[in-house]
Amino acid sequence: MNIKSVAKKAGVSVATVSRVLNHPDAVAPDTKEHILSVMESLDYKPNWMARGLKLNRTGAIALLIPEITDFGYMEIAKGVEDVAHQKSYNIMLCATEDDKNKEKGYIENFIDRRIDGMILVSTYLKKSDLVQIRKQDIPVVLIGKNEELAEENLVYTDYRAAAAEATRHMIEIGHKRIGVIYGIKPKLENEDKLEGFRKTMEEEGLPSPHEYFFAEENSLEGGYLAASKLLNLEERPQAIFVTSDIMAIGAMEKIKQSGLSIPEDMAVVGFDNLKLSGYLEPKLTTVTKPMYRMGLIAARLLFDLMEESQEDAEPQEILIQSKLKVRKSCGHKDRVKEIF
Amino acid sequence: MTLAIDFMGLKLNNPIIVAAGPWSRNGDMIRKAILAGAGAVVTETIVNEVNIDVRPRVAYRNNGVQNIRLYSDILLEEWEREIDSAKSNGGIVIASICAQTSSEISFIAGKMEKIGADAIELGLASPMGEGLEVMAASAERIYEMTRKVVSSVDIPVMVKLSQNVTNMSKVACAVERAGGSAISAIDTVRCILGVDIKSRKPCLPTYGGYSGNPIRPLGLASVATIAQSTKLPVCGIGGIETYEHVLEYMMLGASAIQIGTALMLNGFGHIQGIKNDLERWMEANDIQNLSELRGAALSGIKSFDEIQVEPKISHLKDACSSGDCHKCISACIYGALTKNAGEVFLSPELCRGCGLCSDICPEQNLELIWP
Repeated sequence: MNIKSVAKKAGVSVATVSRVLNHPDAVAPDTKEHILSVMESLDYKPNWMARGLKLNRTGAIALLIPEITDFGYMEIAKGVEDVAHQKSYNIMLCATEDDKNKEKGYIENFIDRRIDGMILVSTYLKKSDLVQIRKQDIPVVLIGKNEELAEENLVYTDYRAAAAEATRHMIEIGHKRIGVIYGIKPKLENEDKLEGFRKTMEEEGLPSPHEYFFAEENSLEGGYLAASKLLNLEERPQAIFVTSDIMAIGAMEKIKQSGLSIPEDMAVVGFDNLKLSGYLEPKLTTVTKPMYRMGLIAARLLFDLMEESQEDAEPQEILIQSKLKVRKSCGHKDRVKEIF
Repeated sequence: MTLAIDFMGLKLNNPIIVAAGPWSRNGDMIRKAILAGAGAVVTETIVNEVNIDVRPRVAYRNNGVQNIRLYSDILLEEWEREIDSAKSNGGIVIASICAQTSSEISFIAGKMEKIGADAIELGLASPMGEGLEVMAASAERIYEMTRKVVSSVDIPVMVKLSQNVTNMSKVACAVERAGGSAISAIDTVRCILGVDIKSRKPCLPTYGGYSGNPIRPLGLASVATIAQSTKLPVCGIGGIETYEHVLEYMMLGASAIQIGTALMLNGFGHIQGIKNDLERWMEANDIQNLSELRGAALSGIKSFDEIQVEPKISHLKDACSSGDCHKCISACIYGALTKNAGEVFLSPELCRGCGLCSDICPEQNLELIWP
């Protein structure tokens, strides 16, 4: 079954059938309906590979994330998928595992496959690499900002400001000795959070001694382990700022096992706002990391670039705000975020 | 005689705009509002990330409504189809949009312009799901966001303000400085509608936005303040149910008005009723164009220091005939009104001219006069 058979049965030219497939708006509604019904009766399915070659499109975009099992990156993928689905596009999803070479390999592969556009999350690429990709006429949108990559189409959130807001909130509650549990990865993002924390403590005239910082794997186990070490300190902190919810959940488990209550003996504030965090006891105060929204917007930006000639368009940098979500683990039993 | 107005460059066939809300949640509803005679319709507030509805989310008590619905539940991509459907019979559609940063909101504004919105309303004043300091509470933030949106689209940009601010004048001036085309006010007011004393629970489980008849005086004050602070056209919102309310807003400086809760309670047919009443009133009062009335009552707002002290006292127009009514007597804190042998007496010596009895009397039988 091919396009010629459809044209013959419908009594129209091949060009008209082709227009129905590629530019349906350019076909009169009655004709379009007739041709579609013929296609259905013949069970005709276009050959997408051949169609892709003709249109110079593959109907797929690539999404490259650092880690495939991470909840946050999955939320980005969901955001990208929601938009791609609306546009009848598929996604090629790959993970770099924070490995620069793996990232390069994947990108070369995307270019070889003539992918229609790509979204790169927390990339290690340099400006010159992006210029190379653009020479292939493949639009790129980045999620996450690093110092090297200014003036690109990118979507990012300000981790420093968000960590500062969380820290300031803990200080306002009355916590003076605040420990930090942070993940070794993702490196750049966590460095920003630590900087936001340190700067705020300094501004408030509070110490943030070296022995109050604990780095572990960004996992439940990592959080548990870090909390075990922290609880052994001679002068225990009154509160802990944790750079991810998953580590915070691990840490909370250790704190509870040690017979301490949260937040009375030890307050905990996480980062990410995983869905799960609202179901814990006590409910985890955290910072929303708008991963899903970043995925949505990055995909929207990418389709804009793919659909329109953007040669002269200025690159768009879109900041998505992370916000403190006050729940119960930081020291409030009866208050809700709406009163702050 | 015409109801038509020119509002921020848009030609509206009448000044009644349907406000952003669940009643303008999709193309079909907007189209119905246009067919029902709305001068324009503002979409429910469109955001990048849609929210799931909680149930219940609307409560009604004493003519006021609390709602806790957060923004549109339709994806940006789907709004393209919705706007097409909304405008299939013509009409003016204003896209209400919200985001937390200037780059994000200007991105959405650009999309809305591309898919056919006639204007943008920045919805940065809603109290739902927000902390105490809504974005519209900060003049700096409103300036930054308005400026960025104005520079990225060619359609008019209206900014919706909240009554929940320390200094509304400053925020209004920030919109004007940033190049905004108009200001709409007010958004819903943060509220808890009530507590069910039997179950000991609030009507709805979180703080919400209050709308309807009870917030009209707050809206009127805000519109007057904006009209006195800027030269921008103002769109009055808050508790509008009748043509008199429309006229009140206009006389305090509004060029157009928005109506929402009254439509939620009475349906879109309510729009035509207000339009008919407005036309009748204009005819009876020999008004050709509503712009003749704009700001007519503003000169009546004086600074407290400028109010002349006059020795007015209350006065019974006729002998009181309402036998069991003691409203004026109960309300007079100066003891100037008494009843003797079924007849109400006013003591000119005791009356201090506060004016309350003349508003309270169901027969409107009391008035303040020079003695």
